[in-house]
Amino acid sequence: MNKVWQIAGREFVATVFTKGFLIGLLIVPAVGLLLALVMPRLFAGRTLTVEGEIAVVDPTGVVMPHVRSVISARRSPLAVTEIVERARAGGADEMVLTALGATTQLTLIERPPTADLEQEKAWLVEPMPAARHLALIVVHANAVEPSPGTSNLGSYDVYVPSKQDNRVEVSVQGVMREAIISARVDARDLNREELSIVMTVPRVRSTTVGADGERDTVFGLNIIIPVAFMGLLIMGVMFAGQGMLTTTVEEKSNRVIEVLLSAVSPMQLMGGKLVGHMGISLLAMSLYLCFGLVALASFSLFGLLDVKLILYLLIFYLIAFFTIGSLMMAVGSAVNDMREAQQLMMPLMLTMILPWMLWWPIVQNPSSPLAVVISFVPPVNSFGMLLRVASSNPPPAWQVWLSIGAGVAGAFAALWVAAKVFRVGVLMFGKPPNLKTLVTWLRTA
Amino acid sequence: MQMSSAAIELAGVTKTFGSLTAVDRLDLTIPRGALYGFIGPNGAGKTTAIRMIMSILLPDSGELRVLGNRSALEAKDRIGYLPEERGLYRKMKVAAYLTFIARLKGVPERGLRERVHSAIERIGLKGVEAKRCEELSKGMSQKIQILAAIIHEPDLLILDEPFSGLDPVSTRLLKDLILAEHRRGATVLFSTHVMPQAEELCDHVVMIHRGRKMLDDPVSTILRPHDSRALSFEPLDAHVDVGAVRALPEVERCVAVEGRYEVALRDGVNAAAAMRSVLAVVPAARIELKRPTLEDVFVAIVAGAPAAGDKAVAA
Repeated sequence: MNKVWQIAGREFVATVFTKGFLIGLLIVPAVGLLLALVMPRLFAGRTLTVEGEIAVVDPTGVVMPHVRSVISARRSPLAVTEIVERARAGGADEMVLTALGATTQLTLIERPPTADLEQEKAWLVEPMPAARHLALIVVHANAVEPSPGTSNLGSYDVYVPSKQDNRVEVSVQGVMREAIISARVDARDLNREELSIVMTVPRVRSTTVGADGERDTVFGLNIIIPVAFMGLLIMGVMFAGQGMLTTTVEEKSNRVIEVLLSAVSPMQLMGGKLVGHMGISLLAMSLYLCFGLVALASFSLFGLLDVKLILYLLIFYLIAFFTIGSLMMAVGSAVNDMREAQQLMMPLMLTMILPWMLWWPIVQNPSSPLAVVISFVPPVNSFGMLLRVASSNPPPAWQVWLSIGAGVAGAFAALWVAAKVFRVGVLMFGKPPNLKTLVTWLRTA
Repeated sequence: MQMSSAAIELAGVTKTFGSLTAVDRLDLTIPRGALYGFIGPNGAGKTTAIRMIMSILLPDSGELRVLGNRSALEAKDRIGYLPEERGLYRKMKVAAYLTFIARLKGVPERGLRERVHSAIERIGLKGVEAKRCEELSKGMSQKIQILAAIIHEPDLLILDEPFSGLDPVSTRLLKDLILAEHRRGATVLFSTHVMPQAEELCDHVVMIHRGRKMLDDPVSTILRPHDSRALSFEPLDAHVDVGAVRALPEVERCVAVEGRYEVALRDGVNAAAAMRSVLAVVPAARIELKRPTLEDVFVAIVAGAPAAGDKAVAA
């Protein structure tokens, strides 16, 4: 056992006390911070200016003045702000808010009520117009007053040219909505301002009541926490697995492996590497976890974290580490250089990519058949189950323990395979093994 | 298999890789304290045999004991090993590397630092302790690798092609280190292609060819069956005509070789009588019986031919 610790200690020291480790440690939060700062701006895009002509055919004869009025008012920044606020209070999504908040420079082309629709449509596709033709609006005859014998009100039809930003249409429809509502209000002799006040109910922030007290509800935390824990898990496994892969390849390529094997058995060498790199990744994960906890505490959100999650993180980390990490080390032992390793690494990398592809549906619906199946199938079960236990709708305890049991079985199987491949692979040089060769190794080692 | 207290005992050890039999029913006994040379051509199975002795590879069949144990794993701390393909941790400092290997070999912490420093000093590399291994020259690296094999003062020292790539100075140093380890009491087994070194260092040679043992005898015994019927003759006058020698009835052939002559004798000729006949016709500065070298024996066995000494000058 002492030799295992000697190997582990060397791996730990040789990795941790290097600039590369510090850079690697800092680069993950740095990239995360950068993405958090940059991505919203990248997604927000530049402010849209809706500029061009809209043609309106109004058989009612009462909507057109209101369209004119709304277009004129929309040129005022104050009016735009008010529209956006009202839409936000009504629960409009971000795209609608962006479109409504867009700078509008619309020019109204008033068409006669009897205009020919096909001819008007041709206006939309005129080549190289002086001003962009954004939309053709045909107001329904019953848009303001219901047709005789009915109580339903109509609206309008919109025709747009191809390849146009959807936000333009949203903005144009916002104009028409405002104009038709105003026309209907006037037709009924109602007070628009009063109606607005009556119709507006601002959205309120809820208060989360817990055993340890009350606090403002933090929306998104039930998504952030599972993803953060899964990210930590993947990072920890990748950190260790990649380290074991590269050091094994390095020891093979610089031929120090046989010197080591004269002092320790292949299993002691493998055991030492596993312990050493487990220590390295646990150190990295602990540091990140501490940063996260300090951040939560600084925002007085520490109480929102179920401390049991840290225990689950450790359990699922150990399962994923021994499953995926040991197989990565086996890959390192079977190849001659990193280029050859890439080919054998593909299936293992998929087990890391899969959780990233599936985290959203799992977090959205932790009890879905997909989430349940994923949480029982090694080697991805650790990631799936951790997402579920950290979600707002955790699974029953028996599922958690069943997943742990499946994971432990998978880890033992992976260690068995890795040990067999490692024992033979570390002394094999030359052509990298194919699947048939690996099977032979498993049978003979 | 009757096991004794020999350092290494192999009985019927076989190892195959697919259809290739690398080592074929090898029997070998190396007594404690001996200095054995393990010779054979490329691909003979030397490295495979050594790896099995080291328990790095497991034999397909046969029995094996190392320092009285069924596996070298049980005695790894008492064995020093220098593999054919060897290397160092490039980023590790020299003293740290040797300390690491010494710890793996079970050297106690007390006095370890002094042991490492004195060992480095012993091979004339004082001052490299704090250097990274990647900063060392090739020769220095090889010295450190050799040091790593003996840092724990092993009872059994196994060296696989230790002289390959060494310059004459380093070769001399390594020879001295091997002899020093042998004098200390260690059993030494080393494989080599360089026959003069094996002949110079070893008191016993084992030769394998195509996985099979071809020779397993003391060097003196190996050379005795190949007693020469050839003379090495250096005339007093370098420009003398040796036609008289060639004309002697005992002489089959006389060939000039690097300032002297090698004289092949006919079958049934008494070497001492022939020597007197040669001296009678040409004054000689030196004349001696030409004995075969280990290299002659090696080449003869590998080529499947009789020992080279029999026809030393006929070649």
